[in-house]
Amino acid sequence: MKHHFDVLAAYIRQNMKETLAYRVDTLVNLGIMLMWQAWDFAGLAIVFSNTESIGGWRIGDMIVMIGIFRLVNMLMFSLVWPSTEAFNRGIREGTLDYTLLLPIDSQFAVTFQKIVVWRAVDLLLAVILIAVGLFYSGAMPVLSNTLAFVLLMLSGGVVLYSVWVMLIALTFWFTKFDNNVTLMQALTDTGRYPATIYPVWLRLLVTFVIPIAVATTVPLQALRGELEWWQFAAALAAGFIAFAVSRTVWRIGVKKYSGASA
Amino acid sequence: MLRIYQRFWMINWAEQWQYRANLLMYLAYWVVFPIVYLTVWSAIANGAPSGMVQGMNARDFAAYYLTLLAVDLATTSVSIHMLASKIQDGTISNELLRPVHPILTNTFVNDLAFKALQMLIFVPVWLALTWLFNPALTYTWSSFLLALPAIVLGFLMSFLITTTTTLMAFWTTRVHALHDLVFAVAKLFSGQFVPLLMLPLWMQGIARVLPFQLSMSFPTLILLNKMTPGDIALNYVLQIVWIVALFILFRMIWTRALRRFSAVGA
Repeated sequence: MKHHFDVLAAYIRQNMKETLAYRVDTLVNLGIMLMWQAWDFAGLAIVFSNTESIGGWRIGDMIVMIGIFRLVNMLMFSLVWPSTEAFNRGIREGTLDYTLLLPIDSQFAVTFQKIVVWRAVDLLLAVILIAVGLFYSGAMPVLSNTLAFVLLMLSGGVVLYSVWVMLIALTFWFTKFDNNVTLMQALTDTGRYPATIYPVWLRLLVTFVIPIAVATTVPLQALRGELEWWQFAAALAAGFIAFAVSRTVWRIGVKKYSGASA
Repeated sequence: MLRIYQRFWMINWAEQWQYRANLLMYLAYWVVFPIVYLTVWSAIANGAPSGMVQGMNARDFAAYYLTLLAVDLATTSVSIHMLASKIQDGTISNELLRPVHPILTNTFVNDLAFKALQMLIFVPVWLALTWLFNPALTYTWSSFLLALPAIVLGFLMSFLITTTTTLMAFWTTRVHALHDLVFAVAKLFSGQFVPLLMLPLWMQGIARVLPFQLSMSFPTLILLNKMTPGDIALNYVLQIVWIVALFILFRMIWTRALRRFSAVGA
């Protein structure tokens, strides 16, 4: 375990160096990120100039929602998209073999090698947005709900991570499957709004297939104290189960993989 | 000249045909956004006492966003994805050796081939969405005929805007950031985010001055029979004026880009 932390620290240092080497690019990307954040606010302002609530969700709730969405966004942009790109390139060019040969768990190496470090800014933004949104809605959550929220956020993150691992592991079977995360990428945007307003088929899709809502709507419901205890337990358990399943899928996949060119 | 375009069509169609399975996946990028917003507005309309927002009910919103989705697929140019990397890695120089304009032939036809193939895949998806959302589709034969030229001109506008933006790749490596910026403004003021009617008045004013609504909101509203004849005529004039202006701008930047490109290569 300690070994893994050392390696992770080394990965972060390495990625930090890359960020610093391309300073202007980092600044431009940060600017683009802030621009989209401003866009989100403009969007909210426009929507709420026509109404007071979206299916029972008011503007304060929606600001909290955007804050939570930032956390999902952080996971995607700092880890999932860049690592997938590196992974797909590795399969295409055969360099994945070197990663698999490293004396460390292959899933760990593939999923943590590429970390876009500056995206940690999202964390700060998210905390501010959630606090502002809660203040605005005037409903300060009690401690137990806050704790449940944090736990479900973590477990939601693990669920998304696990689904991602399974998606890219599919590439071990279908080597030409370099669209492995397209659907996930497209559906991420559904996390901007509470899944409770979606039609049933879409809600099922973003809860069970590509479970964006498990990391957005569900924790928010916990924060508002809307979850029954068994729903909380199920959401928490989902994190452990998804992780275990993804480990198994990954292991079988790696065993099956024999190189794209061989 | 027609023969040249025919040739390019055959090549590009064959090229896109290889990726037909991928096209189905790419469709997801297009489809999710309008579905999310049509759901959001339906929830708002259904929550209002009158069942309407600005005179639109849930079925009107479904009709607006599903029509817009089809218009978006038909008019939005995706040329940046091929062209930017060709400029950046220098492979555009192979095309510069040919005696025809690379952007106005190859890039243009490639964009068209992509759209044609994607439309084929899109039709069943669109029918499924119509079945799911039960939109109040107010199309007529005459609205189709009236909208068709607007869609073609809208595509030309979008093509010129996107390629002109992409030509900045001759000067900067950060052309995708620039494109993101244009895209963000376009999304807000084209009617893609919300029907322009939902914007505050001052933003509606900006939307009128900018070109973006002409390839999104305009064809959509004609199709749905939501535009007065006077407005249709005015927007058609605007489209033509914009195309001429954008084409002049495109030519100017293209000439400069070429001069700069040879300077780098020499």
